[in-house]
Amino acid sequence: MENKEVDILEFAERGEDVPHATVYRVRIDGEVVKIETARPTGELLLSKVGKRTCAFELIEEFVDHKNDVVEPNEEIDLRKHGLKGFITAHKEIVTIFINGDPYKIERGNRTVAEILAKVNETPEGYVLLEEKSGPPMPLPPDQPVKIHGCEVFHTQAQSGGSS
Amino acid sequence: MDYPQEQIDELKRYCSKVSALTEGNATFLFLEQLRLPDGSEPAACDALLRPFLGADGYPSQLYFSVQVKSPYAKNWNVSNARICEKNWFAFSWKINLASPTLAKILVAHLTGFTKEK
Repeated sequence: MENKEVDILEFAERGEDVPHATVYRVRIDGEVVKIETARPTGELLLSKVGKRTCAFELIEEFVDHKNDVVEPNEEIDLRKHGLKGFITAHKEIVTIFINGDPYKIERGNRTVAEILAKVNETPEGYVLLEEKSGPPMPLPPDQPVKIHGCEVFHTQAQSGGSS
Repeated sequence: MDYPQEQIDELKRYCSKVSALTEGNATFLFLEQLRLPDGSEPAACDALLRPFLGADGYPSQLYFSVQVKSPYAKNWNVSNARICEKNWFAFSWKINLASPTLAKILVAHLTGFTKEK
């Protein structure tokens, strides 16, 4: 008979195999979330705690203190022996989106020129626009841009000047 | 003068309401509570977009209901211009876009707040 709901930590601590269940209770950064499949992807688990793969990575934690990084599209077996839960970590190299395409960049303060260089453009020729809780707005070319991961940028050809 | 609906829809992302105002044969776009780039004061104000060549010789113009303070000082060379029964301000900023859409014209004008020249 299949269990309705199981807590994977309890089974890991007892050294027992996790049985089949309808719902698996899983800890991610200490927060208990309910997963309705035994084989979720890393991306799905991150989304359960409001995080995205463009900024965070997911790490499996085992009772024997072993840790493994989970790739976003990797399927995890929640019934894996000894798996007690997950933690997340902010990536050092994050993903940003420019004109709809993903690009890797180091987290922290970056120059407009560094960001435009990802699409082979320069501040002399292009304006960098950031879509941040609203429409794409132009950014000053001489101010640093704080990158946390998942930022959405657009570019537009330079076309204006004081007349 | 009619503007493509999809271009009007794009403009709507930047303000609370877009409406057409006419003066003579010209149609201006009234942008209520237009969002302005970070560091602008106020952060939003009413604006009037003229997406066509005007008597001033500029291919387009963006008028504001107030003189906006921005990190870079601007040359506000239009003050209390009376258009469509309202008073407007504008700074010297000439744009020249190869394939302009209304949103691109608007962004090109807003970019003026983020640059010295």
